[in-house]
Amino acid sequence: MSIEVRNVSKNFGAFSALRDVTVDIPSGELVALLGPSGCGKTTLLRIIAGLEVPDAGRILFHGEDATQEHARERNVGFVFQHYALFRHMTVFDNVAFGLRVKPRAQRLPESEIRRRAHELLQLVQLDWLADRFPPQLSGGQRQRIALARALAVEPKVLLLDEPFGALDARVRKDLRRWIRRLHDEIHVTSVFVTHDQEEALEVADRIVVLNHGHIEQVGTPEQVYDQPANAFVYQFLGDVNLFHARVHDERVLIGDAEVELDHHTLGTGDDAQVFVRPHDIEVLLAPNGSATLPALVREIRALGAFIRLELDREDGQGGVEVQITREQYREFGLKRGQRVYLRPRAARVFDVSEAARH
Amino acid sequence: MASVIALSSPVRSRSTAATTESPAVRRLLIAVAVLFMAAFLVLPLAAVFYEALRKGLDVYLESFANADARAAIRLTLISAAIAVPLNLVFGIAAAWAIAKFEFTGKSFLITLIDLPFSVSPVIAGLVYVLMFGLHGWFGPWLQAHDIRIIFAVPGIVLATIFVTFPFVARELIPLMQEQGKEEEEAAVLLGAGGWQVLWRVTLPNVKWGLLYGVILCNARAMGEFGAVSVVSGHIRGLTNTIPLQVEILYNEYSFAASFALASLLSLLALVTVAAKSLLEWKIRRDQQIAIRESVA
Repeated sequence: MSIEVRNVSKNFGAFSALRDVTVDIPSGELVALLGPSGCGKTTLLRIIAGLEVPDAGRILFHGEDATQEHARERNVGFVFQHYALFRHMTVFDNVAFGLRVKPRAQRLPESEIRRRAHELLQLVQLDWLADRFPPQLSGGQRQRIALARALAVEPKVLLLDEPFGALDARVRKDLRRWIRRLHDEIHVTSVFVTHDQEEALEVADRIVVLNHGHIEQVGTPEQVYDQPANAFVYQFLGDVNLFHARVHDERVLIGDAEVELDHHTLGTGDDAQVFVRPHDIEVLLAPNGSATLPALVREIRALGAFIRLELDREDGQGGVEVQITREQYREFGLKRGQRVYLRPRAARVFDVSEAARH
Repeated sequence: MASVIALSSPVRSRSTAATTESPAVRRLLIAVAVLFMAAFLVLPLAAVFYEALRKGLDVYLESFANADARAAIRLTLISAAIAVPLNLVFGIAAAWAIAKFEFTGKSFLITLIDLPFSVSPVIAGLVYVLMFGLHGWFGPWLQAHDIRIIFAVPGIVLATIFVTFPFVARELIPLMQEQGKEEEEAAVLLGAGGWQVLWRVTLPNVKWGLLYGVILCNARAMGEFGAVSVVSGHIRGLTNTIPLQVEILYNEYSFAASFALASLLSLLALVTVAAKSLLEWKIRRDQQIAIRESVA
């Protein structure tokens, strides 16, 4: 079941949470709404669910207008950030709730309800917790029970609000992969909200990047990461170094170093902001003509598989962050205070006026 | 009255080494508190039972055989039986509206609910006399239709409702606000209707707080003197509740009978306190189990 969001706006008093948002969510996909806190992503999710009413715009499910439908009738599965499990009911009763509150005419016989609830508990691999109460469960278990409860009513779409937000790092990673596999199994159109770009890149088929109540970019994880539409998306999707550059004779210069750019529309005399990811900067021990930037190593930090170097540019134009492999680090025998030469391998340039908007 | 509200929150703070006094100071403080309690609470309570039973169990039991005493007990039970359920329904409705919805005039409604706590019960009684009394606004009309409210049972019930109005709502509002409305939203998204949400999600979540409010409400309904005194007219066997009957008997020097009835009210107070502590203990234990097991 596809979801279409058409020109949706929503204000809370003077605060405008969503401004004229339009986005299509194709049937069967797992889509991430990604953005910093306060960007309107949760509001959009709640509007799709029917928990909030948009000030303007429409929501279409499978091409049919659902804007006026009550949340009760929309048949969406919703997983809350803090799970919102019914605290006075057992895990089993939580999962069976949606089946038991159906109007008598549509309600399954109790034996069938029990069978289905157990089936769902098995799907989330927690059948053995059926008689426990929510406060007795760990965060990851609660999350999966909340998911089983939402799936019990066979929803047309599944909506998840920060599904991994309240979990610790280890559980979060496991659950992320588990949700991805579950989605590949059941194929229900799913939308989840997150502020964690890594999570969105790993789990989603498609990412909707939101900022200040409007959409910055929609695309596959590769598209938004490799071809960010603007400076905001570039910065939000990973660590980044920002350089001020001048354009001279069609050459883009950071300090005295020249950077190669795939495509740009800059002319001589323009100021530009050049973005380079920490892993897209090559570290050299010796200068390489006019293409390198001399810098001093200020700090060396080991981050698991990689080493992060913090460097100061020798021309005094600020710091640079570079990520190198452990092999390279050992090979170079880098030390604090050592002089190295940096060569940006891949850089993106955005117009200063456009970048300043963010 | 403020103390009742403050006491009603079953949250305990834990003392740390930095906030603990030396053993000598602690013992002194505890001794002062115990002595004070003994002088002002335990002694009078014991005196009530002592006076009531001084002339023997026979005289004590005889006091309840008296027709007027029985009428007073019956009237107290009737007015509580009407006032408590009505305030229960009202309290749930008000708390639900205030805790789960946003609307203009919300803080005004909260202030209004607190009004019976801030108004003297005598004023509350007088208001009803001014409205429904013989010379009141609706007095002539009521008399023309032969309806008696003041100096009759309806007036007593009205006054009791007014005075006990805030108890249930006051207990539920903070509880429901703390719980938020996510569980209700989850229930609605799973297809539950309004009544199903109320019966299956909202009420079970506040059941202990609700019971707690009802117990306090009931204790006040049965013990109220001021407001009821103004509207009652003190007609023996007809419009006297237990507290009013106690006063009349005492003024007539029937001490044994007076204290016998008073002991009944004291007993009610003791049962209320016991039930209240039991509930607090239960709520605290549930919380601790929840915390311990979420940590484990």
